[in-house]
Amino acid sequence: MRLALAEIRRAKLRFGLLTGAVALLVFLILFQQTLASTLLGFFTGAIENQSAEVLVFDEDARRNVEGSVISPGEMEAVAGVEGVRRAAPLGEGTFTVDAGGELRDAVLFGYSLGGPGAPTAVSEGRLPAADGEAVASSVDADDGFGIGDVVEVVPGRYRLRVVGLAEGSRFSVLPTLFVSYPTFEAASLTANPDAEAVLPSLIAVDAEPGVDAVGLAADITASVEGVEALDRATAVQSLPGVAAVNSSFGVVLLLAFVTVVLVTGFFFLILTVQKAQALTLLRAIGASGGYLVRNLAIQVTLVTIGGVGLAAVLLAIAAAASSRDFPIEAEPRLIVTTGLAVLVLALAASIGAIRRVSRIDPASATTRPAGGGLA
Amino acid sequence: MRLGWRELVRRPGRFVVAGGALTLIVVLLLLLGGLLDGLYKGSTGAFRSQSADVIVYAEESRNSLVRSRVEPGTLERIGEVEGVDEVSGLGVVLIGGLPQDGARSVDLAVFGYESPNLRVPAPPAPGLGYADRTLETDGVEVGDTIVVGPARVPVEIVGWVEDTRLLFQAGLWVEPGTWHRILETSRPDAALPEGTFQAALVGTDADPASVAAAIEREVPGTSALTIAEAIATLPGVAAQQETFVQIITVTFVVAGLVVALFFALLVLERLGLYGVLKAVGASSRQVAAGLVTQAVLVALGAFVVGGAVAVGLSFVIPEEVPVDLQVRRAVVTAVGLVATALLGSAISFRKIIRIDPASAVGGS
Repeated sequence: MRLALAEIRRAKLRFGLLTGAVALLVFLILFQQTLASTLLGFFTGAIENQSAEVLVFDEDARRNVEGSVISPGEMEAVAGVEGVRRAAPLGEGTFTVDAGGELRDAVLFGYSLGGPGAPTAVSEGRLPAADGEAVASSVDADDGFGIGDVVEVVPGRYRLRVVGLAEGSRFSVLPTLFVSYPTFEAASLTANPDAEAVLPSLIAVDAEPGVDAVGLAADITASVEGVEALDRATAVQSLPGVAAVNSSFGVVLLLAFVTVVLVTGFFFLILTVQKAQALTLLRAIGASGGYLVRNLAIQVTLVTIGGVGLAAVLLAIAAAASSRDFPIEAEPRLIVTTGLAVLVLALAASIGAIRRVSRIDPASATTRPAGGGLA
Repeated sequence: MRLGWRELVRRPGRFVVAGGALTLIVVLLLLLGGLLDGLYKGSTGAFRSQSADVIVYAEESRNSLVRSRVEPGTLERIGEVEGVDEVSGLGVVLIGGLPQDGARSVDLAVFGYESPNLRVPAPPAPGLGYADRTLETDGVEVGDTIVVGPARVPVEIVGWVEDTRLLFQAGLWVEPGTWHRILETSRPDAALPEGTFQAALVGTDADPASVAAAIEREVPGTSALTIAEAIATLPGVAAQQETFVQIITVTFVVAGLVVALFFALLVLERLGLYGVLKAVGASSRQVAAGLVTQAVLVALGAFVVGGAVAVGLSFVIPEEVPVDLQVRRAVVTAVGLVATALLGSAISFRKIIRIDPASAVGGS
């Protein structure tokens, strides 16, 4: 331990640079993960944090909420499937609204008050109790979607009053409002007076107690023609772009992990090779192989921990500087799990250096001219 | 410079560490850039295919095609604005369709249009349509009929068009009457009367930005954008660009730091040797030039190997990851990497300049 720390103290620049490189690479990993999870949360939060256990799509919509339209016959048929406790319309649409004195885009979810499809993550205020009331995504509260604010759907100036805020309830990265289904219908007609009818986008379904949502979804799909039912988690994963974002960031993260591990491993290997003579001398004067390996492992651990700590600070700075439209958070759990993974992988990547240290022959010190031996 | 080159040739193993790390970073940069370009291409094809210079939306739609409505009277008034040479209507509905074989449905962006554009010929007869070639991968062929939406409106494919997707949904281009029928039967809440479109496309020989400004001024209630501006307002496009540019920038910084770290270590190891070189007459500039040569060559080598790996990976990456490797992006990456390597290696210059030749004979 003392040897490892003494070397770090005496070669501050060398170890500082290495720690800096590890910090930036770990920051890259943390930053990407944070961006990906925030982006996905903003894409899917409203579906993830609503009460319906099963969501029924028009089968041609290919699991796309925006592309789904439910006919009245399908609603009745779904309500009649065994295991369905309640089936109610769920409307979704993107509207231009006047909020906080500015025109903005916002998503409206219309659900049957007291029925399935209600927001489940209300953190402030209450659920809508009447037409014209809304629960808004809490992240947009400062942009004219706060409790007590009035949001107007244009061009007809249909008024909605925000009575509650819900965490993690954005949809398609837009401010989102949960309203009663009649309110959704009225807003749709306001936006397009030529609309011939306002049909639900989905059917929100609650299962009978003890009925498994996955099984019920399969039953609905099998027994009602023209629809596809999904349990909530599958619906979230199936939303357009979620698989692509997950796969894309997965590939990038994998490469970033490989890079950080190889950089750490390579650098300790090169340091070991460069210190070969000194390490041989240490072995010759009695230091055991285990002692030298332990010192190397301590250095890898300290550099990695230092790098992860610095990366966490950088992430916190990035989070503090992130925009209000796309706020990111430095999650301690993510930092700890990523840090542990990097540490384990960095130690594994240092096996090359550890093997070199453990294979040093103390007798070779006597054959090195630099060590005073005879070549 | 020659010294740097000779060392690189004789002791390539010494540079494997930096080269290996930079190669991985190149793979990362190229795949990130490929993802960015793939996402952009899949989201914006229908807009990039437009020969029109300006697109006009209803002001209150906030430049959203699906929420906008442009009445026949508005189209007429836009046509009267000075500088406007041609006006035509455009509309879209994002919806599912079932190909003839009925095996599985496909995502469609059904466009109703009045005038040909760079990639799509003049509108076909009612009930016929030009389809984006990406539908070929779903087993669709020219001559097939796709039934569109819950009302099962049939559209026969009469030809392929290239790169006309919108938000990753394949473009299906039909005449206005067919489009209106699909819209009112599939999305009754979005139905529009005949003659009304979602946007107006404007052709002009004048400066598009000036014509757009003139339209907004003379036709109240409209929002006119150049095509490039309209692409930037498409949902998700700006956010994707911003996110990926941030990640790519951080990755370049990491590349620079890896180079800086490696060459700083290399210089630290060879301080004595550099002292000897200076003692026998080599200037700081010569020593630094050797270092820069090595950094640039290592970066270029990493780019070549990393480029090959990225191309190989692009063949095995799952289909849902829209990677599109482009030469332009590769050139930008190569230039950025060399610049980063130059900057990174330059960090060691101070150390080289401060080497005292006297240290070669024991002075300090």
